Amino acid sequence: MKVGRRNFLRAGSAALVGLSLKTDRPIAGSFVNDSFQMGHLLRDRASFPAPKRIEKFPVVIIGGGIAGLSAAWRFRKRGFTDFVLLEMNPQAGGNARWGENEITAYPWAAHYVPVPGPKTEYVRELFEDLGVLKNGQWEERNLCFAPQERLFLYGRWQDGIEPAIGLAQKDHDQFQHLEDLFAKFRASGEFTIPVELGRSSKFQELDRLSFSDWLQQQGCDSGLVNWYMNYACRDDYGALAKDTSAWAGVHYFSSREAEEKGPLTWPEGNGWITRRLLERVGENVRTNEMVHRITETKRGISVFAGDAEFQSEFVIFAAPTFLGPYLIEGFPRLHDFVYSPWLTANLTLERLPDSRGAEPTWDTVFLDSPTLGYVDATHQSLRTHIERTIWTFYWALAEGAPAQNRQLLLDKDWTYWKEAILHDLERVHSDIRQCVSRIDIMRMGHAMIRPAIGSVFSEERRRLTRRNTRLLFANSDLSSISIFEEAQYHGVLAAQTVLDHLHGHR
Amino acid sequence: MGILLFISVLLVAACGLIYELVAGTLASYLVGDSVFQFSTIIGTYLFAMGIGSALSRYLNRGLVYRFVWIELLLGVIGGFSSAVLMMAFAFTQGFEMILYALVIVMGVLVGLEIPLLMRIVRDRYEFRDVIAHVLTFDYLGALGASLLFPILLVPRLGLVRSAMLFGLVNAGVALWTTYLFSTQLSGTRTLRIACVVVLCGLGLGMAEARRITATAEDNIYADDIIFARDTRYQHLVLTRFKDDLRLFLNSHLQFSSRDEYRYHEALIHPGLAAVPAPRRVLVLGGGDGLAVREILKYTQIESITLVDLDPEMTKLFSTHPMLTQLNDKSFLSSRVHIINADAFPWVDSNTDSFDFIVIDFPDPTNYSLGKLYTTAFYRAAARHLSAQGMLVVQSTSPMFARDSFWCIAQTLKQAGLQTYPYHVYVPSFGEWGFVLASTHEYTPPVLLPNGLRFINVEGLPALFQFPPDMAPLPVPPNQLNSQVLVRMYENDWKDISH
Repeated sequence: MKVGRRNFLRAGSAALVGLSLKTDRPIAGSFVNDSFQMGHLLRDRASFPAPKRIEKFPVVIIGGGIAGLSAAWRFRKRGFTDFVLLEMNPQAGGNARWGENEITAYPWAAHYVPVPGPKTEYVRELFEDLGVLKNGQWEERNLCFAPQERLFLYGRWQDGIEPAIGLAQKDHDQFQHLEDLFAKFRASGEFTIPVELGRSSKFQELDRLSFSDWLQQQGCDSGLVNWYMNYACRDDYGALAKDTSAWAGVHYFSSREAEEKGPLTWPEGNGWITRRLLERVGENVRTNEMVHRITETKRGISVFAGDAEFQSEFVIFAAPTFLGPYLIEGFPRLHDFVYSPWLTANLTLERLPDSRGAEPTWDTVFLDSPTLGYVDATHQSLRTHIERTIWTFYWALAEGAPAQNRQLLLDKDWTYWKEAILHDLERVHSDIRQCVSRIDIMRMGHAMIRPAIGSVFSEERRRLTRRNTRLLFANSDLSSISIFEEAQYHGVLAAQTVLDHLHGHR
Repeated sequence: MGILLFISVLLVAACGLIYELVAGTLASYLVGDSVFQFSTIIGTYLFAMGIGSALSRYLNRGLVYRFVWIELLLGVIGGFSSAVLMMAFAFTQGFEMILYALVIVMGVLVGLEIPLLMRIVRDRYEFRDVIAHVLTFDYLGALGASLLFPILLVPRLGLVRSAMLFGLVNAGVALWTTYLFSTQLSGTRTLRIACVVVLCGLGLGMAEARRITATAEDNIYADDIIFARDTRYQHLVLTRFKDDLRLFLNSHLQFSSRDEYRYHEALIHPGLAAVPAPRRVLVLGGGDGLAVREILKYTQIESITLVDLDPEMTKLFSTHPMLTQLNDKSFLSSRVHIINADAFPWVDSNTDSFDFIVIDFPDPTNYSLGKLYTTAFYRAAARHLSAQGMLVVQSTSPMFARDSFWCIAQTLKQAGLQTYPYHVYVPSFGEWGFVLASTHEYTPPVLLPNGLRFINVEGLPALFQFPPDMAPLPVPPNQLNSQVLVRMYENDWKDISH
């Protein structure tokens, strides 16, 4: 065999730097769970078939996310079964969807619920129903196992996400100052979960400025403090601090008591809750049912989905609010509802990367990364020996305008995002390409409501929260904060309101 | 002649760097902390080279003759440095002293080389050419050595033979010099004989290197290694010294055949002998079959289920003659059923009930093992207990890891069980602890199987007494979401080891 000089040099130099021994795995994967095609049909006012059949239900729930499923759960728990839930996607769950392969179940979006405080009555009731809360004790297996979180900074690992090593006195003082401020806000009782139960106009002025401006007013100019505050906003709101209402920023840090034992989590994240809810209400759920029109009639309210007209007395609109103008006849355009675009990816790992002394945790975050890091789906496994695993990688496209980022999600192909994800991971796990065998990516143009400046106390939002109508909105958009507890609260409350109406009628 | 001369500069430079790298690498391997080792060794070495350069001015006559001897000395000292250091670590207390002494001697000799060479050739070239050529080849040699060392030498030859190879190079340069400069030398015959002797010595060393390494390693691991394997789950090493067999899992001692009977009798009999009419027993862990050997002494027991993660472990203890002798072929009994599975999921999914449950896992050294010491696990295990059943947990040392021991007891209590902690002395482990747990009151047995060597009825009550230095401590229970035990255990052992 003749070896050309060029090849010889290439092989030789590769051998010298030791690259020739490493081989990257071929990585399979694709985009999954795309739903924007359906959204675009609605947006572009495509023509839908005229109804061929009529079905009658006293109540129709639109949307099978946590809000819709929670409304259904409330109905069935109260013995009311004469309703139907219409879900557009093949799989119910919304932001609490999950996937499963031969390694483990894994989340597609929300992956934990903080241990609920005393005000979060409905969540506690649900968890008692699901066996997560027994005689006042939280089921140990459902609490996040230790060690929970780690942050990679300055080339090393630390426990927890709030930067704790390499702090200058200034950083330390500012973290402390904020902690004291948040403690006062917490004591005010204004910042609660559910939001509706505490919020008055007392701190309304906070909604008129951005969280980053507020931080600046408090004298917080530390880079680490600002990184952490931005991380919090990106993680919960998919937004930078400068695009977040200061009221919502304060709420993030002031709405929960510091507790050691939480959060509650499962291999498939909040998909576990979806599964348990579906066990209870599944027979009322119809998937692949895309609603394309909602019309109030003299006798009630009609919902058109596929080739059917569902005639009902009440509709619980538990889909994202931004769909309202496209579905509901005579519904005004919305101005105060901004949505954050997200990307999540599930990575199949054939082995764990070299850990360099750090034990793997549930949640891993990198300082100064545009992404949110990843969560390990086998962390809640009871096995002692785990070889293969799934990492769920979270990336809120917070930098720049949401519309532009939505376009970016559509324009770029799978390879682009795959490489972007690997580049991010490679900064910390240099051997990641030898570990990953598959990357599935889910693009969500309107992943969650964003508590933009002025949106928490918006008049538009207040109008939609009215419950004395045939069409009740029920989703976390009403709270302007996209968390499980808010979605569940509005779902349960809408169901209860409908039940009261129905019983009142009879 | 010019190029040949400069090639010897290159070789000499390479040798000098290799000895330095060998010393640094060996120290990192054996003592650890590679940053510290490399920093101090390179520093010392460079400093010693400076001393050598300074001393070179005192050598005035017979420069070539002295150069040849320096090369020979360096060949011997450098060539054997690695072997000497390994032996020093294995057999002496003074590894560090010998290390730095060697580094200094080699550094001084290497420091002498270049000044001498420059002066030897200064009459042949202009001064600026001497400097330029000698230093160029010096640095080239260093580059070659630094690349060869990690890529070829260490993986292919190992540290002992790499050093010897470069000792040969040094001696070769010496021999070569006697020919290159034969006109400037007297007594070349003696010199050449010395060169040949050194070359032969090093050649022999190369041939015997394996034995040198083996001798040193045997001593580092204390005993003969008779079996070593990386299974999918753990690193398994079996050693023997005279009649003492020892098993190490991931470097942690699991038993010594001289006193394991103390451990295993104590693990089984205080609990099992107290269970009325036991028929079914579950062992979690215990892949060595030694606990099962003790359980088989109860003839009324019908079935023993053993759940151990590692099939290679249970296979080894079913087939290896020395090991089956030790466990009395317990795994070959028809009453024993071996299941290779991860314990927690198995306990969760199985529904059988047992009269006695033995929980004999490795100590909670990491968060994975820590899951097997939680309230969640003990609750799941306790669901398998029959009405009169008992459960026993190996619970590390109440002496060396006092917090950990009482944490395990507290965890069992938190899981809703009554606990009866006890301890025994096992020479190879020290004080060792166990916790018996049940849903009912426990009274020590009044009848034990025949033929026990350690546990007797009279001595039993004393095992449950804890002197003040092992007395209970107020510690929280271990839970999946806290895993306090793993950190506690790490701290406990950190205090007494290094």
